[in-house]
Amino acid sequence: MDSDVILILVIGTALAFDFTNGFHDTANVVATSISTGAARPQVAIGAAALLNFVGAFISISVAATVAKDVVDAEVITPTIVFAGLIGAIAWNLITWWFGLPSSSSHALIGGVVGSAVAAVGFDAVIAEGVVGKVLIPAVVAPVLAFLVAGIAIGVSYRVVGKHRPGIVSRGYRYGQIVSGGLLALAHGTNDAQKTMGIITLALIANGTLGADADPPFWVIASAATAIALGTYSGGWRIIKTTGTRIIKMDAAQGFSAQGAGAAVILASTHYGFPLSTTHVINGGIMGSGAAKRLSAVRWGVAGNIFMAWVLTLPAAAAIGALTYGFTRIFGTGALGPVLVTLMALSLVLAAFVRRAERGSPVEAAGG
Amino acid sequence: MIATIVHTDELLQTIAAASVAGIGVTFLFSLGIWGVGHFAELSRSERPVAATAAATVAALAFAAVTAAVVTGIVVMTHN
Repeated sequence: MDSDVILILVIGTALAFDFTNGFHDTANVVATSISTGAARPQVAIGAAALLNFVGAFISISVAATVAKDVVDAEVITPTIVFAGLIGAIAWNLITWWFGLPSSSSHALIGGVVGSAVAAVGFDAVIAEGVVGKVLIPAVVAPVLAFLVAGIAIGVSYRVVGKHRPGIVSRGYRYGQIVSGGLLALAHGTNDAQKTMGIITLALIANGTLGADADPPFWVIASAATAIALGTYSGGWRIIKTTGTRIIKMDAAQGFSAQGAGAAVILASTHYGFPLSTTHVINGGIMGSGAAKRLSAVRWGVAGNIFMAWVLTLPAAAAIGALTYGFTRIFGTGALGPVLVTLMALSLVLAAFVRRAERGSPVEAAGG
Repeated sequence: MIATIVHTDELLQTIAAASVAGIGVTFLFSLGIWGVGHFAELSRSERPVAATAAATVAALAFAAVTAAVVTGIVVMTHN
């Protein structure tokens, strides 16, 4: 009975995490298309939500990595997964509150690793998976997107350079309908799979699924729905909030940035690398800006990404470990997780009320 | 040992696939725009043969972009 209660809490928390991931990341996915005039905000947001939903169904490689290659599923319990999720959500909220950079994906991995270490020790962590499938791709992917977008925009300027701007801009704006769609698809497939992986890990830990099981269809469908709803909700906030992350660039740069981001995320997803999609998208945007002139790059964003790399994993791990320790004060039953859930809900509610009273816009965190 | 941890092959294949797709598709799409632009200019200059050639380049380039995108999605879904 207790384990079923904890499992339900894990699934609910994971889907809430997925919703906030979509909510936070809408800006990153649609900003370029809106900025260049390639799509009206309503159309871009609706299409992004739909393609996030569809993207969640096209692969399960990343879900398999999160479920089987980060921590040893044989020694994990649903409470460990729950504590890891709370670690990730808490770190996202802390960074949101103080305006610090964050990566939801890194926070999720860090939280689960931290709670697993607190519960079982370092033997629970699959170092090969964490280093090879999470840490190294986390560093390589944004740099790769930067370089691909930079070279791509150089190539495109060379090919179309002598043509009249009207034809060129119109052409790339049409192209952005495809590249923006691919980016939304890529975002949906990589980010929704992290939630699928976490729920699958909890189901394996609970004994509901076998150790080598893939995510069941209901897990895929619910993760797809949560990220799509989050994307749609986050989009309407962007329309209402002026001065968000809209970056001025021409249509060719937008096409190159989105194409590079989509290519890197889709290729990484194929090999099961769980990335921070926000870092990759920002890498592509900076690469297409740097190729035109270095001063166009928002180097502050690059610094923020570096900070996120350094801070997020250990901080989320520490909170995940503390959360697990707190739940154990109340034994191994459901009481600890239930209390943590109630406390977390109260804190989230209080934070949103305080923010609403201040009238400050919500800053986007990274996926 | 290090190669096992780093997943060198998968990482290199990711880098190669992303580079070819990102740069290649942008090049092909730019070639398509170049073809459309030339077609418009050559048509105005009443040079039908050259205009047809430019339109052919544009059509082939856009067809290649479509094929690349479809191939990428098919590869993803057959993982």
